[in-house]
Amino acid sequence: MAEQDTFLYALSSNNAWAGYKSHQNPEFFPKLASGQSPKILWLGCSDSRCPETTILGMQPGDVFVHRNIANIVSPTDINTSAVIEFAVVYLKVKHVVLCGHTGCGGAAAALSNQRVGGVLDTWITPLKAIRNANRQELDAIRDDKARAVRIAELNVQKGIEVLMANVTIQEAVEERGLDVHGVLFDIGTGRIRDLGFGTRKQGAGGASADEVVRGRHATLVFRGGNASMKITR
Amino acid sequence: MSDQDISKYLRETHDRVFEHNKAWAAEQTAKDPEFFAKMSAGQNPDYLWIGCSDSRIPAEVITGLQPGETFVHRNIANLVCNTDLNVMSVINYAVRHLQVKHIVVCGHYGCGGVKAAMTPKDLGLLNPWLRNIRDVYRLHEKELDAIPDEEARYNRLVELNVMEQCRNVIKTAAVQQSFAKNQFPIVHGWVFGFHDGLLKDLEIDFKNVLADIQKIYNLTD
Repeated sequence: MAEQDTFLYALSSNNAWAGYKSHQNPEFFPKLASGQSPKILWLGCSDSRCPETTILGMQPGDVFVHRNIANIVSPTDINTSAVIEFAVVYLKVKHVVLCGHTGCGGAAAALSNQRVGGVLDTWITPLKAIRNANRQELDAIRDDKARAVRIAELNVQKGIEVLMANVTIQEAVEERGLDVHGVLFDIGTGRIRDLGFGTRKQGAGGASADEVVRGRHATLVFRGGNASMKITR
Repeated sequence: MSDQDISKYLRETHDRVFEHNKAWAAEQTAKDPEFFAKMSAGQNPDYLWIGCSDSRIPAEVITGLQPGETFVHRNIANLVCNTDLNVMSVINYAVRHLQVKHIVVCGHYGCGGVKAAMTPKDLGLLNPWLRNIRDVYRLHEKELDAIPDEEARYNRLVELNVMEQCRNVIKTAAVQQSFAKNQFPIVHGWVFGFHDGLLKDLEIDFKNVLADIQKIYNLTD
């Protein structure tokens, strides 16, 4: 598609989508305008192949979102911290989901010995630190793709540690049972895998209680390492 | 629903693991058998989307763009601050490495971040982040003060905030240098309205704004 075509396409496609949505359900937009009460805060990668609402099969109003390069959670990053504060304290989301993915450019950059340039080297410092701390394990993986997947998993693990050390999150976990999940999106299959980090560790302490998240338009059920979903409208 | 009903419901829906996700994956494969193979091969998005974290504005859903077409950064009130390494890294990567053709800053009417910023209240950790919106108000104090209707005034602040953040995008070295060399990316300001689901293009005159900005913020050699 030519450049300007893509641009015009997005605007005209929005027009068509808005028309379709309000035809399908005249209350859709008035309801949206009345406010948001998302149950999920999604912390993911900016990568264009990881559109959270689409891959979760959810609708506008269901997922509060922050996406950055390589889904890095740094304790002193004011951008991510402000999102967490707003979502956890004011919107009172029920779940925080940190999602890494296969084929991450940031992971590849952290595994290489070259400078990326500009501000990016500073941004991926936490990933570089993960690489250095796990050099032996990572270097032993022969396949480049598999190595990038492994560092992406370790990055989610580290990010969950940072989240669990966040005072706002700690208080919400304590006071109202906020759940924190670490997952990985496989771009090659479109599936999300629960890595079992966070508040409900996979396999630990037998079967955990099933968790039902009722979004505005769908119901998502977490059971063990799996999730199922039903569109409610 | 009682707990029993819920667990019955759970049994019924169990094994429908990511059913919708599966259906979506199957649909993509039916349309294009190479879809996921191509996705795995890498991304080549034309767009960088800088939007609000608000759950009601998933970029790909409201624009109809497919996975792989839009690189996305979303934060509270779609702000672009020059000392924020998070958003600066996103712009840098999108422009220099992915060579996006368009950068869209998309705000929305009724933005909770903009409202919170204008509320006389100590919001703790949110203060330093939301302060940027008060600065936008100060830049346009006269115009905004002259709007008697509160909602209309907020809506105008939302638009002015989007335009200011577009300027902040244009102030970056990555954008200025790429445009000098390639004639892209172009920076756009959009606002999403919940009442009708439509995107409004603020029609920023990119070349003139760029020239204006470069009087002071020129980072091209």
